[in-house]
Amino acid sequence: MVDQPGWQSHVEAELRAVGRSLEVPPPGVPTAAVRQRLGGRAGSRHHGLGLRLRPGRLMWRAALVVVVAFLAVVIAIPQGRAAIAHVFRFAGIELRQEPGPVRHPGSSASLPGQRTMSLDRARHSVSFPILVPAVLGPPGDVVVSDRGRVVSLIYPRTRHGLVRLDEFAGHLDQVVFEKFVHLGGVTEVPVDGTRGLWIKGPQELIYITRDGSMAAASARLTTGNTLIWGTRQVALRLEGNLGKTTAVAIADSAR
Amino acid sequence: MRSAIDDAEAVARARDGDLDAYAVLVARYTVRAHRAAFLLGAGEEADDVVQEAFVKAFRHLSRFRVGEPFGPWLLRIVTNETRNLNRSRRRRAALSWRLGAADPGDVATDSPVDEVLATERRARLLAAVTALPDNERQVLVCRYFLDLSEAETAQILAWPLGSVKSRTSRALNRLRGLLVPDEQSRISHG
Repeated sequence: MVDQPGWQSHVEAELRAVGRSLEVPPPGVPTAAVRQRLGGRAGSRHHGLGLRLRPGRLMWRAALVVVVAFLAVVIAIPQGRAAIAHVFRFAGIELRQEPGPVRHPGSSASLPGQRTMSLDRARHSVSFPILVPAVLGPPGDVVVSDRGRVVSLIYPRTRHGLVRLDEFAGHLDQVVFEKFVHLGGVTEVPVDGTRGLWIKGPQELIYITRDGSMAAASARLTTGNTLIWGTRQVALRLEGNLGKTTAVAIADSAR
Repeated sequence: MRSAIDDAEAVARARDGDLDAYAVLVARYTVRAHRAAFLLGAGEEADDVVQEAFVKAFRHLSRFRVGEPFGPWLLRIVTNETRNLNRSRRRRAALSWRLGAADPGDVATDSPVDEVLATERRARLLAAVTALPDNERQVLVCRYFLDLSEAETAQILAWPLGSVKSRTSRALNRLRGLLVPDEQSRISHG
């Protein structure tokens, strides 16, 4: 065989491009079913963390099934050496009780393919309705990332400083959080008639691409506190130096 | 990059019956396993294949060699389950592949016309891939749609490495004319 001819690497590159744009339907979440078939009750091991998971009522609707793993955000909650890794998913967010890949504070991190645009244009670029909190008003910047997979509303100067609201297609996971006792300051809060998660303090956050790998350039340490919630069509995470009451008020006003 | 509970540790704990540790692996590999199942021919039943594969993988963890990467090992089980599924079907389900929006980074063009041409070229290429003989299509799926190395592809499809190389090269040759007609004709006439 002679050197790999140029045409071959050309065909290979085209095939890879085809692979990246192939539409693969979102996977279901097999965790609970697998666990059940293996004989464990969902959430049967607590390791003293006081966590209880149970498979929730099936909230899926065929038309609304959006993968949970599809856009997972890893929130690593540093714990002692004895920490047992737990992975929870909630409204498209994956919470992991383990150290994350990075600890760079600051906001130089970016999501893949970030584009700043007007809110109107953003509404045409994403497949889900963009919710805007009336309490905050129109965002300072609107950033659409990863070919319309995520939209971020940025409020550079609120009374509480920089506030960021990330939205993406989502739904409530079929695994429902029942209770948190000690998990690095994660508690459940009611948001607009549904459940939300309130996470106190900074966490490491990373974006998971469509193929399930971590986007290293997106890794960052969050600022302030975070509220995660979801409607049937949109999953949202609100981040900033906000108290719980303020955050919930902002979330409740999102329309 | 580091991560507190890596695959090896999760596997070790799962072997001892820790279903929480196994849930970490399930969560970590669902998207990849599902993509593989879907593209290797499970189609709409990819979710069933994935669930079955995770159950079987757990039961076979004792056969897993310490230090071996978990991903390819799991994907081999996924491939087997997909083959079982296709065997049990009367006919192979038609491949229902569709192209979504191209990644902007993939289309290095200045004009909408070029973009349209690129999209058409890719649609043709995809159609040609679906029309390939099973073995050749599978090897291309593994190498270029799932981004696996030759060695991983050999493991997942349970073929000798030599077959992976020869089938890849045969398949690429078949697709060549679609993309570089000029060079093709220059070579065949020159």
